[in-house]
Amino acid sequence: MKGSATPNRKDLLTIGDLETDEILQILDAAIPFKDLFKRSVKKVPTLRGKTVLNLFYEPSTRTRSSFEIAAKRLSADVINFSVSTSSVVKGESILDTIDTLQSMQVDYMIVRHSVSGVPEYIARHTPASVLNAGDGHHAHPTQALLDAFTFREVFPEMAGKKIVVAGDILHSRVARSVFEIMHKLGVQVAAFGPATLVPRTIPDHVTILDSFDAVLEFNPDVLYLLRLQLERQKANFFPSMREYHARYGVTTERFATLKDRGTWIMHPGPVNRGVELVDDVMTYERTLINTQVENGIAARMAVLYHLTPQVKARGLEVEGTS
Amino acid sequence: MSSLFIQGALVVRPGNQAPVAENICVEDGVIAEIGSSLQPKDSQEVIEAAGKVLLPGLCDVHVHIREPGREDCETIQSATEAALAGGFTRILSMPNTTPPIDTGGMVTYISSISKSQGKIPVSVAGCLTVGRKGEKLAEIADMASQGAVMVTDCNLPVRDPYVLRRALEYSRYSDIVVAVYPDTPALTLEGVMNEGHMSFRLGLPGIPSVSEEIAIERDLRLAQAVGGRVHIQNISTAKSVESIRRFKSEGVEVTAEVTPHHLLLTEESLEGYNTHMKMMPPLRTESDREALQEGLRDGTVDMIATGHAPHTAFEKNMDFQHAPFGIIGLESALPALYEGMIANEKLSWARLAEVFSHAPRALLKESPLDFAPGEPLNAVLFDPNGQTTIDRTTLRSKSFNSPWLHQTLKGKVDRVFL
Repeated sequence: MKGSATPNRKDLLTIGDLETDEILQILDAAIPFKDLFKRSVKKVPTLRGKTVLNLFYEPSTRTRSSFEIAAKRLSADVINFSVSTSSVVKGESILDTIDTLQSMQVDYMIVRHSVSGVPEYIARHTPASVLNAGDGHHAHPTQALLDAFTFREVFPEMAGKKIVVAGDILHSRVARSVFEIMHKLGVQVAAFGPATLVPRTIPDHVTILDSFDAVLEFNPDVLYLLRLQLERQKANFFPSMREYHARYGVTTERFATLKDRGTWIMHPGPVNRGVELVDDVMTYERTLINTQVENGIAARMAVLYHLTPQVKARGLEVEGTS
Repeated sequence: MSSLFIQGALVVRPGNQAPVAENICVEDGVIAEIGSSLQPKDSQEVIEAAGKVLLPGLCDVHVHIREPGREDCETIQSATEAALAGGFTRILSMPNTTPPIDTGGMVTYISSISKSQGKIPVSVAGCLTVGRKGEKLAEIADMASQGAVMVTDCNLPVRDPYVLRRALEYSRYSDIVVAVYPDTPALTLEGVMNEGHMSFRLGLPGIPSVSEEIAIERDLRLAQAVGGRVHIQNISTAKSVESIRRFKSEGVEVTAEVTPHHLLLTEESLEGYNTHMKMMPPLRTESDREALQEGLRDGTVDMIATGHAPHTAFEKNMDFQHAPFGIIGLESALPALYEGMIANEKLSWARLAEVFSHAPRALLKESPLDFAPGEPLNAVLFDPNGQTTIDRTTLRSKSFNSPWLHQTLKGKVDRVFL
């Protein structure tokens, strides 16, 4: 697999940083990685001797495990470093942590933080490759890549297809990254949710839909449901869960219509049953939620493979001699 | 006895004409003669000023000095050194120190340190309410009698309109101006930047323009109702300019200030989460910036103030959300305004002198500076052909949190006469 024309990219911080060709390169690279999972030995030696650090300032067992498995299947050594947000609220602690970890000669840092921009900030201060595993409301590029990979498995020709992203767009890093990647791949994108959670400041290429009827009229190939943070209700973004589900969720009745049309369902997980969707959706043959999880590992392997850390080896190797 | 001869300086006077090259003869700091045909005497030190611009000394009505309490960020000495380097001959110190300046005794304390350690005169502002808590009026009359020229809870709005009403009424018999910081905390919440396309893209909590605009409407309507005089600190939106224009036309006694960075920069500068672009009010959009410039030209906006807010590198070198608001401005203001507005003819030198010297001095009850025989020479000589590099080695301020850090701006403060 060596020798492909990958650019010398150190970090993956947002989808916006990637050209469409580069996105396709990563998606293509994920295909053989996924094939690997069917074998009894699911490991390749690509990153043998490299160290991957999971630096999670926000608890997330699912994403962290996905990155950990991805790194291990590439034969990297993996360290998990979880920092409780209560003990760390200020940036100087982040830099102190980075300095400490740098001394350990880490090659890849996978960073999740509740504050937008932190992975970019860390990337400026380390020669290690930084993979943004979700920052604040800003970006979640590996989620978008695994979603595009999943979409592409169903629709190899993505251009001209249609997706509706539904739910809390305002606070969603997933929505932002999914908008960007789908747009770059030629998919028509629409957003659906309460007006409090779908601000008019979303990108111009995203159509805003104001009712479920409008969603049906838009007739998406994929309905992408976002997880609703239940505490949004307290800040008056919507009055009640009941009303949210009735207006913006996939109810039993709506599910019947979607099923008739053969609409595919995606969700980044974890799902709030009875809020974003009713139970039956989980067992629907066109619900891709578990496929997304499986594809997450392949997509993250492809990203690790794609990036080039700038960590210089020290000691016996001498640079610049010929 | 010192005797100076300033030769061929482009002298900036109020009114809208272009500056004219003149020679000025100065004896012991006082202008003796002025004219284009004057010749230097043998004994005089000649300052060759051809092509350079002579402005009245600048005055900044919004400087966070940080002394007492945060002398690691800035002291009266370092702030006045920075101000002098930037072409200022008077500044107003803000009262949000630790402890805050909320009594006559504290005003006296700041005045006395300023006299002993300041490189230029420092006017003093006191708090509007005790401890800037917005609840109980500070001893406004006492602070005024100790020389305070303004009361403000700077960086904090007066949440309770009742408190602001009483402050406007109570201050009427003291020679002191009430200044308000326009913000509606219930709308600003935890916002860290302008709310709009950019905040959506960066995933940062936004501060809507309306948060400032509602506060301005409320405060000006209140001033109108009680017949008070009010000064509005750093405005940032197009609709704020509109409100002020309307209330002025209705006869409300209001003055308003804008910062150089709101005149020159927009929210686009936040790309990359640069914490040196984080300030309150936040940088807004291009149309806001244009409206602020227009307001400054047409007289709606009365003055420029830097809002100089020093923070240590340690404080600013963190993630955008947790970094403190505020940037320094004393040493970049004049070259940045020259490069961004004067060189491209968006603002005349004469209007700059009005908005950065005459109007702010008037707010502080200081007499206007004039280039005329018998007047003290209080002026800044600016070289449009020079350049100013903003970095750690050149800044006199103890802090480096400038949006123009590591940049070189057109023009340079050549010399300040005080």
